[in-house]
Amino acid sequence: MIDLHGIVYAYHSYPTLNDLVLKRTSASLPFCSRYRLIDFALSAMTNAGVRDVGVVMQTNYQSLLDHLEGGKDWDLSRGSGGLSLLPPYGLYNSQYGDYKGCMDALAAIMPYLKRVKQNNIVLMRSDLAVNLDLESAFDAHIDSGAEITAICCKKAYDSSRDCIGFLPDDDGFSSHLQFGSKDPAVLQSIEAYIIRKPLLLELVSYCRENGLFHFHRDALAHYLQNGGRIKLFQHSGYCAHICSISDYYGASMDMLTSSLRSELFPEDRPVYTKGRSSVSTYYSENSSVKNSLVADGCYIEGEIENCVIFRGVRVKKDAKLKDCVILQDSVIGENACLSCVISDKNTSFSAGTTLCGSRVLPITVPKGKSI
Amino acid sequence: MKKECIAMLLAGGQGSRLHALTDKSAKPIMPFGGKYRIIDFPLSNCANSGIDVVGVLTQYQPLQLNSYISAGQPWDLDLQRGGVYILPPYQSSGAKGEWFSGTANAIYQNIDFIDMWEPEYVLILSGDHIYKMDYSDMLQQHKDKGADCTIAVIRVPIAEASRFGIMDTDENGYICHFSEKPKEPQSDLASMGIYIFTWETLRKYLIADENDPASEKDFGKNIIPSMLAGGERLWPYRFSGYWRDVGTIDSLWDANMDMLSPTLINLYDKSWPIKSRSPIKPPHYIGENAQIRHSIITEGCDVRGCVQSSVLSNSVTVAEGASVSHSVLMPGCVIEMGAVVEYAIIGENARICSGAVVGSAPNGKEGWGIATCGPKVCVGAGQTVEAGAMLYSEKEGK
Repeated sequence: MIDLHGIVYAYHSYPTLNDLVLKRTSASLPFCSRYRLIDFALSAMTNAGVRDVGVVMQTNYQSLLDHLEGGKDWDLSRGSGGLSLLPPYGLYNSQYGDYKGCMDALAAIMPYLKRVKQNNIVLMRSDLAVNLDLESAFDAHIDSGAEITAICCKKAYDSSRDCIGFLPDDDGFSSHLQFGSKDPAVLQSIEAYIIRKPLLLELVSYCRENGLFHFHRDALAHYLQNGGRIKLFQHSGYCAHICSISDYYGASMDMLTSSLRSELFPEDRPVYTKGRSSVSTYYSENSSVKNSLVADGCYIEGEIENCVIFRGVRVKKDAKLKDCVILQDSVIGENACLSCVISDKNTSFSAGTTLCGSRVLPITVPKGKSI
Repeated sequence: MKKECIAMLLAGGQGSRLHALTDKSAKPIMPFGGKYRIIDFPLSNCANSGIDVVGVLTQYQPLQLNSYISAGQPWDLDLQRGGVYILPPYQSSGAKGEWFSGTANAIYQNIDFIDMWEPEYVLILSGDHIYKMDYSDMLQQHKDKGADCTIAVIRVPIAEASRFGIMDTDENGYICHFSEKPKEPQSDLASMGIYIFTWETLRKYLIADENDPASEKDFGKNIIPSMLAGGERLWPYRFSGYWRDVGTIDSLWDANMDMLSPTLINLYDKSWPIKSRSPIKPPHYIGENAQIRHSIITEGCDVRGCVQSSVLSNSVTVAEGASVSHSVLMPGCVIEMGAVVEYAIIGENARICSGAVVGSAPNGKEGWGIATCGPKVCVGAGQTVEAGAMLYSEKEGK
């Protein structure tokens, strides 16, 4: 059994996701026709054989709870261990509302961390579209004898923020943490770390005692300053960090490219998600579909091109959809014409509606809206 | 633990009239209608009807069936107090191990299982029909009429009646006559193979039937006639919704085509969901040059060619330039570039190589029929499979 425990951060949502995170966290943001973003982190853990996972949540987590239930769909529903949902305990000094940083969140779950049976803990964000080979990363971590392994990717996966990266030394380790570096030699961190449990506990205590909150700026910097070195593990496949509407739209459209899709959904590391009983999708005699991803349970009578369609969507006769992302159970009325629209769950567009965004600035329609 | 009514699902038959398709797996596990397996229908009906103990009797090629049902999670039948139980034939002390020798014998051999639940009623189901039915309504009628046995019945065209168990009722509505597959049917009231018995009565008849060396140990041929002869109260439960027996290639193809018309059977109805175990697959992708008309497509498919009036199960690949029409494609099968598939059933993980032609449109000629490729069959590049042909997968192991 793998000596690794999972911690997934699901407490934070970028306000730049606007309407999409009005009623949910980034972790439960629907993605690629049938997934929620947190599925990628949980599946990476399940596929690596991790059996105990804690999900740190703080606010707005109703939709996440609905999605995760007991963790059955990720094989994390266990008699002992398995999935632990970690809402705020309200014990520690989190009187400021939102966790101020990752170390603040970890401090809040300190009693849980102390009880972790495994000697290594993987910390992962829940807003990445990535299919990590966590097993290989863990093997590299153990073989190298490192105390911390950072999972990195070569290209800048995150366009909208200053990236965090590491300048590698010749031996696959790094002692240089870089913020916003444009140096091509720097490997971008995807902010997934495998870390030995005693070190993590020590860093959490250090930050708590010194009123520090940030994982990179405070904890990692402290570790490196004291002579620590970080093993780098390079992830080579697709990775998108979804922190704005345009990230979301871009990553959704990326999935229409076969090669990127197969990087995110390789045969040997399936992505698990909550099941939903539905029929297969029906395409009528007069439908027309091009270059689109469609989930089960849809009823398509109109035209769709370059679209990502979620479960249970109905596209009525002569409706035209181009470059759209249509979330579950939305209804597009007859003759409606949408382009570059992201419509959230349960939206409906009455007959004849026309709504056009642009690829640079797609229009977002909030959950449950009727237009 | 006591339950008022439990279900016993007969899933052990070979389904020999499906030939290559059931060569290596039991009929109830046959993929159906894109998303489903045949057994999803009775299992979902049970769950929706509030029947939460289901014994599944398996015998013929049970491995895929066992792993599909597993703990019963998709149907919410993974319960602490009840659930779904796979019941294979077993050895008992003193006696030699024995196969199930008939539908009644299969239940007879599981009397101890049924007794564990102390039920008042037992629902007997089979795993080869496509329908939605509320068994709790049938049970209510059984109780209201004080019947010993209730048989679900449906009217069938008289010309087809000789394929079914056919019954007559007397002036009070009781069943007075029952004949299994009669040559000259006297009525169009056909048994759907769904029975509710008062367990105490059935138990008695099962034991008597087992001791009758002349009996074929079959519900339709032996148990029902001897209950009639014994003066028990048998009552019909009239059903008028969609119900299809999918025991032959033609009926399997027909019923799949029915799934293209949601007016026949509404599977979108959230109050009566038919649930299935889904493979872990991404959504289906429809390519730039694909043409899809009047078809159903399931997750994991990759369609680049032309698909018309067809039913695609999960993970099917239709390559660019391939053409599929009026066909049923089972999970994982691959239709390569330029291949043409018409009026055919393609089994799981079969491969139709580039330029091959399988089946043809009805041409009125004698011998025309649905072309069938068994699971894992590979039709080589440029080869032709005639209409009505039946291709078996190569034998390996046993």
